[in-house]
Amino acid sequence: MSDLLLNPTEGREPLQASFSDAANPLGLDGIEFIEYATSQPQALGQVLEMMGFRPVARHRSREVLLYRQGDLNIVVNAHPVDARGAGHGSGVATLSAMALRVRDAGAAYKCVLERGAWSVTTRAEVMELNIPAIHGAGSSRIYFVDRYKEFSIYNVDFVPIPSVDQHPPATAGIHFFGVVQYIGPERSNDWIAFYNELFGAELIPDEQRFGIMPKGMLLRVPALDPANRFMLQLIEPELNVVDSDERLQRIGLGVPDVLAAVRALRALGVEFVETQAAHTEQRGAISKTYLGSVVFELVHSEKA
Amino acid sequence: MNTHRAATEAISGFGMDTITLAGPLEAKLAAMKDAGFTQVMLKANDLVGHPGGLGAALQAVKDSGLRGTGFQVLRDFEGLSGHLHLYKVDIAKSMLEMCAALDCKVLLACSSTSVHASQDLDHIARDLRKLAMLAIPFGIRIAYEGLSWGRTINEFTTAWDVVCRADCPNLGLGIDSFHIFAAKTPLDEIDYLDPSKIFLVQLADFMWQETKTFEERMTTARTFRVFPGEGVHSEQLVELVLKLDALGYEGDYSFEVFNDDYQQMPLPMVAERARRSALWLAEDVMRRSMPLPNQMRLKPTRA
Repeated sequence: MSDLLLNPTEGREPLQASFSDAANPLGLDGIEFIEYATSQPQALGQVLEMMGFRPVARHRSREVLLYRQGDLNIVVNAHPVDARGAGHGSGVATLSAMALRVRDAGAAYKCVLERGAWSVTTRAEVMELNIPAIHGAGSSRIYFVDRYKEFSIYNVDFVPIPSVDQHPPATAGIHFFGVVQYIGPERSNDWIAFYNELFGAELIPDEQRFGIMPKGMLLRVPALDPANRFMLQLIEPELNVVDSDERLQRIGLGVPDVLAAVRALRALGVEFVETQAAHTEQRGAISKTYLGSVVFELVHSEKA
Repeated sequence: MNTHRAATEAISGFGMDTITLAGPLEAKLAAMKDAGFTQVMLKANDLVGHPGGLGAALQAVKDSGLRGTGFQVLRDFEGLSGHLHLYKVDIAKSMLEMCAALDCKVLLACSSTSVHASQDLDHIARDLRKLAMLAIPFGIRIAYEGLSWGRTINEFTTAWDVVCRADCPNLGLGIDSFHIFAAKTPLDEIDYLDPSKIFLVQLADFMWQETKTFEERMTTARTFRVFPGEGVHSEQLVELVLKLDALGYEGDYSFEVFNDDYQQMPLPMVAERARRSALWLAEDVMRRSMPLPNQMRLKPTRA
C-alpha cells in the first residue's frame, strides 16, 4: 500500500491519493487485530511462533490468547463455541474476524448498520469491553475498536503473561499488508459494493498487483494515517471448480525485503512453497499450508 | 431423447409458484414434480404455516429435489422513515434468513403501496440499496418489482429507474407480465433494460381487457390470474417473452398465478395446466426444446 506513495505511477507529477473524511467515513485507521478460531490452539500457536509471533497475554474469561510481533496483533480464540461456529464444526483453524481501528466505534457501528450491515450480538462478561461487531464474509466477523492510542483494549480484557516482553519486535520487519477473501462465482461485484459502501474501500486497477498471488480483485481500505491502509483481495473460484464457499482465506504480511524475510523465517522453521506456479522472489512468497488451513503470504512493502 | 425427457428439458426454465395450488406444502411440491417441473417459486406463508414448523418446511423443499426459483415476498419496504423503516428492516432480515435457509438466490421485493412512504425516488433508491447490502453476505439478489397498484412505482419502467439510481450489483428487476398488461406499459420499453439486471420474470395472464382502477387491478391480480396462453393477452405475452429472449434474458420464468378457482381444484389438474402452458411457451413460442447449432445459449451457473 505504502508502495504506491513511494513509487508513484509514471506521470509528470506524482498523483497522491486524497485522504478526506468523504473517502473514509468511518475514520478507519488500519487493523487492530486478526482473529483465528480453532479447537487446536497449541498447534496454531506453534505455527504463529514460527512466523515470529509471541504469546503476550491471556483473555480474562475465555480461552483466548493474544500473540504479537511489532504492531501486529493476532488473537487465537479457542473458546469452544467460537471455534466450532467459525469452522462449521470442522475443527480446522479459520480466520474468524478482523478488528478495524476507527475514530469512534459507536459512530462507526451505527453508520454501517444504517448502510445495511448485520450486527452480531457480542457477549462481554463483567468489566469487559463490549466491542461492536458486524457479519463479514462467510462466518467471519468485523469488529470496530476505537481504543488503540493512549491505552488498548488488551489492557482491559487481557492479563499479560508474566515475564514476557509485551512488545516483541517484528521479525524481518513484518507488518500487516492485507486479507485474502475467497468468494463465490460471480460475486466480485457484490463484495466490491459491500466494502465500498461500508468502509469506503477503493478498487485498485488490474495492472497494479502486489506479491506473487495476483489473482482476483484488489481493494484498498482507507485509513486516517496512509501508512495504516490495507488491502482486501477477492478471489472467485476457477471457472471449472464448483466451490461457492466464502471465507477469509489468509493474511498478507508486508516485509521490506522478501528474500531476507524468507531466510529469517526459514531459520525459524517456516516452509515456503517453491513450485513453477508459486515460488519465492523479491515481490513475495507464500508459506505452505499449516494445519490444513493456515497460510501466510509475504509481500514486498516498505512500511511508511 | 424420449418425449418425456425432451419435455422436461424444454420446461426446465419454467416453474410454478406455490401460491397457485391449495393444500399442504408437500402436496404442492409433489404435484409440481409430477408435472415435470424442476423449480418452484416459494412463498413465506407456505413455510411458516407448515404444521411441522419452519424446519420441517425447509426439509420438505430439500427432499422434493426442486430448485428454488426465488422467495417471495417482501412488501412495502422502501420509502419509510424512523420506526417504520426500522421495523421493515427487521422484517427484511427475517425474509433474507429464510431465503438463505432455502438456498434461494432471489428475493422478490415489490413496490410500496403505503401512503406513509416517501415518493422521492432517491429515498426509495437509498432504501433498496440498503436492502441489497443486507442481502450481499448471503449471496442473495433482490428482484424489485413494480406492482401495478404501487403508489409511486407502478410500472417496470419506473422500477428500472430506481434500480439504476440505487446502483447495486445484486439489486435488479422482477418483471411480472400481469402488471405490465394491467398498467398497459408499452412493451417497447423492454428494449431499454439490461438483461443481466433482470433477476426474475413472473408470467401470468387474465381474462379481461381493461383494469382501469388500482382496486380492479388488485382484485384481478389476487383472484383471477390464469396461466400464459389461457387469458386474453396471449399475443402481448408472446411478444414480451420473445422480447426478453431477444434482449438476452437467461434467467427463470415462474408462473405467478393467483386464482380462486385453481385454489379449489385437484392439484394434478392445476399443475397439468401449468405444464401445458410451459410447453406452449418453450416449444411453440420460444422453440427451446431443440437448440439449433449456434443458437444454444449456455446459462451461467450461479452460486
